[in-house]
Amino acid sequence: MPVLSVSNAEEYQNLINADKTTAALFAADWAEQCAQVKDVLEELSKLLGDKLQFISLNAEQFPEISMKHQIEAVPTVIFFAKGSAVDRVDGVDVAAISSKSKKLAESASSAAATGQSLDDRLKALVNTAPLMIFMKGDRNAPRCGFSKQLIAIVNDTSLPYETFDILSDEEVRQGLKTYSDWPTYPQVYVKGELIGGLDIIKELLANKELETTLKG
Amino acid sequence: MSKYNSKYLEDKLKQELEAKYVNVVDESDGCGGKFSVIIVSEAFKGKTLLQKHRLVNTTLAEELKEIHAFSQKSYTPEEWEKVQQQQQQ
Repeated sequence: MPVLSVSNAEEYQNLINADKTTAALFAADWAEQCAQVKDVLEELSKLLGDKLQFISLNAEQFPEISMKHQIEAVPTVIFFAKGSAVDRVDGVDVAAISSKSKKLAESASSAAATGQSLDDRLKALVNTAPLMIFMKGDRNAPRCGFSKQLIAIVNDTSLPYETFDILSDEEVRQGLKTYSDWPTYPQVYVKGELIGGLDIIKELLANKELETTLKG
Repeated sequence: MSKYNSKYLEDKLKQELEAKYVNVVDESDGCGGKFSVIIVSEAFKGKTLLQKHRLVNTTLAEELKEIHAFSQKSYTPEEWEKVQQQQQQ
């Protein structure tokens, strides 16, 4: 299946809202690198065409769409799952475009093959370890002040734990918010049950209930 | 940037949660992206920590989509009295 050239906004909306994950190339005729990226997408579509669809649009013909996704340079590739942008690559980073396409194709096929829904995946994830922390970054390099404070507090208990970097997986990042009905990160789970975020951990610490709670 | 300020959050929490006391501190230098909030309400009675926080999160569900950093302390009037006593000691 070749890369589809999009000619109007309605067609674009239908395509990115499709069940199939979409890789959309925002391009311009005058930029040679765009042709290069398009060739890469053509190749990827031969390999992954049954799981991903590849489209290309002229960024300047669709200023509103480009604005919405803050396209600052062409080429930019944005990946859409059921209408929402789940990942992107700015510029001619062929390696990143390939690896992200493959990763998305894999997650699409693993979901299809095992019948594993996002809910099942999240359930398995929160049960990865008895004490599980979903955060931005990892324990050695937290990438948000709240995650950093949380790791410092949990480290003080000397309890073993595992972390998951939600910045590495947009599907988990969005899905877990709904799954656990909790809008922010970090999130702490004990034996698969949500304990809470940093505020709750701090309060448990102040009440001297933290260790007991985290041991489950 | 978010379109919310301390006054807005205070009013909304007071109204929706019938809070007796709400203290909102804007820690974002006015850009509206970072707030720290103390809420005292009867609505928290008999609820676990998680349930209390969830109640506040639900009340501010729309706002929290835009507020980048939000931290809350949510107390029942009894708990709040204890907290204040501790602070005075």
